[in-house]
Amino acid sequence: MEARTVKEIVAFCQGLFDDLDFTRAREWKAAVPGRKVIGYMPVYVPREIIHAAGMLPLGILGGGADMEVIHGDAYYQSYICRIPRSTVELAVTGRLDFVDGMLFPSICDVIRNLSGIWRILFKEKYVRYFDAPQNFREDVGGVFYSNELREFREGLEKLAGRRIADAEINASIEVYNENRLWVNRVYDFRADFPWKAPSAEVYLLMRAGMVLPPEEHTLLMREYLSAAGAQDRPMRDNCRVVLTGVFCEQPPLNLIKSLEISGCYIVDDDFLLVCRWLLEDVQADGDPIENLSRAFLLHSAQTAAKYEADMEVKGRYLIDAIRRRRADGVIFAAPSFCDPALLDQPMMISRLDALKIPYITMQYAENSGQMQPIREQSGTFADSIKLWSSS
Amino acid sequence: MAIAIGIDVGSGVIKTALFRVDGDSAEWLARWDARIRQRDSFQLVEESLAYVLEKAGLARENVDYVATTGEGESFQGATGHFYSMTTHARGALHLNPEARAVLDIGALHGRAVLIDEKGKVLNYRMTSQCASGSGQFLENISRYLGIAQDEIGALSMKSTNPEKVSSICAVLAETDVINMVSRSIPPSDILRGIHESMAERLIKLLKSIDVKQGVVMMTGGLALDAGLVSAIQDGMEKQKMATRVATHPDSLFAGAIGAALWGAFRHRKLKALGRLPKAS
Repeated sequence: MEARTVKEIVAFCQGLFDDLDFTRAREWKAAVPGRKVIGYMPVYVPREIIHAAGMLPLGILGGGADMEVIHGDAYYQSYICRIPRSTVELAVTGRLDFVDGMLFPSICDVIRNLSGIWRILFKEKYVRYFDAPQNFREDVGGVFYSNELREFREGLEKLAGRRIADAEINASIEVYNENRLWVNRVYDFRADFPWKAPSAEVYLLMRAGMVLPPEEHTLLMREYLSAAGAQDRPMRDNCRVVLTGVFCEQPPLNLIKSLEISGCYIVDDDFLLVCRWLLEDVQADGDPIENLSRAFLLHSAQTAAKYEADMEVKGRYLIDAIRRRRADGVIFAAPSFCDPALLDQPMMISRLDALKIPYITMQYAENSGQMQPIREQSGTFADSIKLWSSS
Repeated sequence: MAIAIGIDVGSGVIKTALFRVDGDSAEWLARWDARIRQRDSFQLVEESLAYVLEKAGLARENVDYVATTGEGESFQGATGHFYSMTTHARGALHLNPEARAVLDIGALHGRAVLIDEKGKVLNYRMTSQCASGSGQFLENISRYLGIAQDEIGALSMKSTNPEKVSSICAVLAETDVINMVSRSIPPSDILRGIHESMAERLIKLLKSIDVKQGVVMMTGGLALDAGLVSAIQDGMEKQKMATRVATHPDSLFAGAIGAALWGAFRHRKLKALGRLPKAS
């Protein structure tokens, strides 16, 4: 078969992104009787266990920019972000009727409340509020998290009607280690050649990984890297920025495009952290629960979604990313009413101020439509870096 | 030495300027401008590039930096893009080194920019989405009055008894003007009234960004409207502001000039850093 071009690969990913009926996941489920699909929300769940159960992990990231929310607004107050409303809308309009279970990671109170709403609305479904430790000592948070993982495994076993063997989880750990390797390669490629891998493309490529089985997503990333590497594109005189705060409710695709059009190459971000949450390979032999637990405790990304008690360490992950990616500045983009992102921001800003690293802050909702003010803000930020800094 | 082209894609007019920059000396080799009139903007940009290159006797490969500004950010042939306040600040300073503030009034927006002696933007504010401070508004009024746009300034200067119009809303102001015409108010008094109303809004904009003294350089299409320039100066005097409004025959090109000069600056800087943009 002839290799696809970048345009064709991106069009395929765009098709998955636009499809709020999740046709691809429905087809996966329908292909073999008895298959099950487990939805999960941001920021992190151990997809390895779902995969080992023979189920498809399906990332649910709200309804996007174009979906009209009619019923969802009835479930939340006006000062709550948009992702839970549009997720409820997806569900009550039947778009998630094929999903057999839903995981709600402990990112914030709103998502925790959503797990309760789900239990009330969909009594017959498997629903789990997936709690993660905020204490990272192995004898405290480690014990708690291992128990959490075991309970999760048992829940899926009940749903699958069979045991999930350690060997199966270890095999899935290898699949996801491989997937993360290629995710990181895509991110490295974009940081080295941002004009060859525009962020909107990279984002769509990662979003495809929310719907596709991991093996297929890995092949897709390999195909994209090969095609993007071979394609000639003009390099623009843009500044290089790290985009942060976008780990839960997703900005509209147009916002990502607008940032780059306005003169900012995004060279790192915290989109879809589930793909990059674990910073090192998980050990793929021995007790997989303990290995997954240790990976979470000791080798996970330090972001707004994770508690950091030591103020000396707080912000180091972002500053390391700025240095590693040779970024000129930071764009803090937070969803409106997002407690984790907005509460983290002042702490991060104090670190950047101390190092005289330029930054701007902005807010969005997944359905933000007016991009002109955003372009003007990020564009003038790019101008100030290009003309008045040492870059 | 750097050859740089600045392209200002405005809402109504595209302006292109080609410069040869050598140290502090900037030589303006060629210029081009045209109204868009529902044509494809980027096709016009290509035409403008071909024209200025031919005029300067240069080929595309001789150009070190193509800088867009205004609404030109999606033009694929650009090396980089700068935002309008950045380029108008630099362009204004080039046209008048004493400028410490800029009033850029184009077809759809009015913008006040406070700058320092290097052209760095210190503060800026735009008119809101209302069109009553813009060139498009004046264009509509000239159509109602049945006069050519380039007659507006001279006619306004002949006014003896300016007729006050709504300074809040273009729609209301246009209704005002239609009423004035039916009341046989002379066009010169109507135009002066409109200029004074626009001047009032623009002076408020300047005050909102703390412009208190020095030269306010007018750029954009309306910088050539002598009636508006005079109304702004009179308004400043009435409000006892220690500012002086200035304009230049090439004010229309301020954005394109600024883009070209910043482009040349970036070329020099990137060359020194060993990071010149090139095709992959």
